[in-house]
Amino acid sequence: MIKARKVSQIVFLFFFIFLFIRARYPYEVSLQSDLFLRFSPLIPLFDFIDQWKISLVFWPALLILLFTPFLGRYFCGWICPLGTTLDATSHVVKSPPGRLAQKWQKLRYLKFALLVGGIILALFSIHLWGYLDPLSIFNRALTIVFYPLATFLIDHSLIGFSRVSFLESPAYGVYDFFKSLIMPEQQAHYQQLFWIALFIAIILGLEKVSRRFWCRYLCPAGAWLGFLSQFRFYERIVGEECPVCNRCQTDCKMNAIPDGNVKETNKVECIECFNCGAACPSKINAITYRWRWKPYHTPIDYTRRQFITTSLASIGTIGLLNLGLNNRSANSTMIRPPGSLPEEAFRDRCIRCLLCVRICESNGGCLQPDYIRTSLTDLWLPAANMREGYCEYNCNLCGEICPTDAIMPLDLEVKKKTPMGLAHFDQNLCIPYARHEDCIVCEEHCPTPDKAIKFDVKDYELADGTTRKVKYPYVVKDLCIGCGICENKCPLLGAPGIFVTPENEKRFDPLNWS
Amino acid sequence: MKRRDFLKATAVGTLGVNLLPLTYPNKLKADDSIPQVVWVENGEPEQLLEAALRELGGMNQFLSKGDVVVVKPNIGWAKKPEFAANTNPDLVGAIVKECYAAGAKEVKVFDNTCNAWNRCYQYSGIEAAAKQYGGKVTQTYNHRYKNVRINGEAIKEWSLYQDYLEADKIINVPIAKHHSLDRVTLGLKNLMGVMGGNRGSLHSNFGQKLADINMKLLPTLTIIDAYRILIANGPTGGNLADVREKKTLVASTCTVSADLTALKLFGHKMEQVQHIRIASERGMNKFDLNNLQVKTIRLAS
Repeated sequence: MIKARKVSQIVFLFFFIFLFIRARYPYEVSLQSDLFLRFSPLIPLFDFIDQWKISLVFWPALLILLFTPFLGRYFCGWICPLGTTLDATSHVVKSPPGRLAQKWQKLRYLKFALLVGGIILALFSIHLWGYLDPLSIFNRALTIVFYPLATFLIDHSLIGFSRVSFLESPAYGVYDFFKSLIMPEQQAHYQQLFWIALFIAIILGLEKVSRRFWCRYLCPAGAWLGFLSQFRFYERIVGEECPVCNRCQTDCKMNAIPDGNVKETNKVECIECFNCGAACPSKINAITYRWRWKPYHTPIDYTRRQFITTSLASIGTIGLLNLGLNNRSANSTMIRPPGSLPEEAFRDRCIRCLLCVRICESNGGCLQPDYIRTSLTDLWLPAANMREGYCEYNCNLCGEICPTDAIMPLDLEVKKKTPMGLAHFDQNLCIPYARHEDCIVCEEHCPTPDKAIKFDVKDYELADGTTRKVKYPYVVKDLCIGCGICENKCPLLGAPGIFVTPENEKRFDPLNWS
Repeated sequence: MKRRDFLKATAVGTLGVNLLPLTYPNKLKADDSIPQVVWVENGEPEQLLEAALRELGGMNQFLSKGDVVVVKPNIGWAKKPEFAANTNPDLVGAIVKECYAAGAKEVKVFDNTCNAWNRCYQYSGIEAAAKQYGGKVTQTYNHRYKNVRINGEAIKEWSLYQDYLEADKIINVPIAKHHSLDRVTLGLKNLMGVMGGNRGSLHSNFGQKLADINMKLLPTLTIIDAYRILIANGPTGGNLADVREKKTLVASTCTVSADLTALKLFGHKMEQVQHIRIASERGMNKFDLNNLQVKTIRLAS
């Protein structure tokens, strides 16, 4: 069993990473890369709270939830890529044995508190649970930290090797292989890198405190699955021959075997890793796993008092989240991807998984995980930074890949006509206005068939009395789609002479959408 | 050989070589059999190329066996061939094929694109067409741009693509397009695709800056694709109404001459196009532009 579990963990981990790597141009919609985000057991729950109906697009998660009351938290032990990463990390950092970590056991309620808090906030239409969704965390770490890091290290070490004469041709051979098949994109650079890296570093680092610290005490998906598996039918049976050597208890990843009662299993905590069966000395072999139709019940470690405290805290949070300064100026560069839902709905649906940011990198590369502008909920929503990239005219992949349809999958021809903002000239900086020299790089790059940037040719009298013809550009609002390639390509080194704001943006309301 | 004899022979030889053109001016000054510029019209890209190369004496005239050749088309935009924003893919494919037939060791095809490179390479059809004949099509890698001393009038130093600088022979394959900065983009402007750095900053005082850098970049052969040309909303295009099917090709060993000849497609004069005028003022032309020998061929349909 333990072998099967390990194989499953590795297979799912590689499958998810494979889907992640495929999430780039050219993207084939046949095997959807967002499939792996739709494995998240939290999505159907919160989608239900948002829409009051069950969406079958989340079928992988629904399937997992369907079997959970019978099998327990097998998702955590067998499928979850974050869990697998944590297991690998615990081998590296050498987690303390189960007995030493027992003192943290009283924190078990935290994960239920986070889940309940998430649910209460969601009922008031504030969806913050995405920050703590394990698959979201995993994808965020891959997108912002690990994949760019791997690109950087592989690129630079191969370029370094290629400078050594006898390594030149093999190094370039490997380089071309990587650049054509695995990492064809340019090096990505993301804002919020520090905070997202710190976030994943803390989760991985907690392995030093105890094995699966995140899964035991913090993961709301674990809490949700644990809640469903209180009456798990598939049980661990400990035979009479057990001499109570406590080895299974010491080896338990989740501390799910109670101290002093090795014959019982905490069904809310157990993730079915089957380490206990393997830990049982082979000549005794007291542990078997079996279906029983009259299972015993494990209560969840979450008291009424804790529930009330969570509720009060959540309600306070809801209030505070609505009290921040609504600074319109801070939001003036908050440009959402084309096809985004209206802002309120967008914030509800977005789980901050950053798949859109990931796929954007192989296209225009404008999307970035956003920072906190005025509200905490701004954090890690996708927003376009046109100085870093631009929205590729022929691309609608962020909508295609969004697992929750916070960004609608627009037909390409519709997307090409959907403004995500409007370009403005800053005449104090723009070269023709500021220096009376020709430039029109923005006009050159403008992708609309009838260019949204046009120019007046005017004579300008220079100081020496001669005149010069200069092309002074301007924006035609009805033609501009706010793609930002003008801002991106503006040759000024610092602040651009043309920039995009969300003005004139068009959002898609699914209720009025055909 | 005695020293005296050697000096005599040298003197006579030098004198002879210098006097020879006077006695047979036409034979050495301008070879009538090989035109300075070829203009071919009314054919498919492959036929146009074949006819042009036949007039120029075949690809063997330009390549030696074992040469590493760079073919530099315009792959700047993520647009399909019918929008005439990129060089015709069939033409690029045919050129790659001809290069290998003439004994090239390797033919590299690349461009520093304006949109995402992978989309440009795919949409333009150039990646597929060049690979079909064994062309090596790669993105331009940041680490292969090298700073090069230019010492021009406006530009002192610029970063240029290493593969281009190291190539034995270069074939420049622009598409003839409208460009609002300086009316057209042709062979000279197409060479911006091997420049790195802040290319947008070249747009002010464009003619001088382009001429400065192009001094280091002049190709072996320039083949201007005018199968389809873009007459407005360039260089990106996107509207089929702005595309004209001219089924034409202009080829020359001199980029300035080729560009000047191709201006006829748009009805412009050299005085109107600053960057070509400046290039000629700077003496970048191989041939006398006032007395250019253009051979026009109209293929039978």
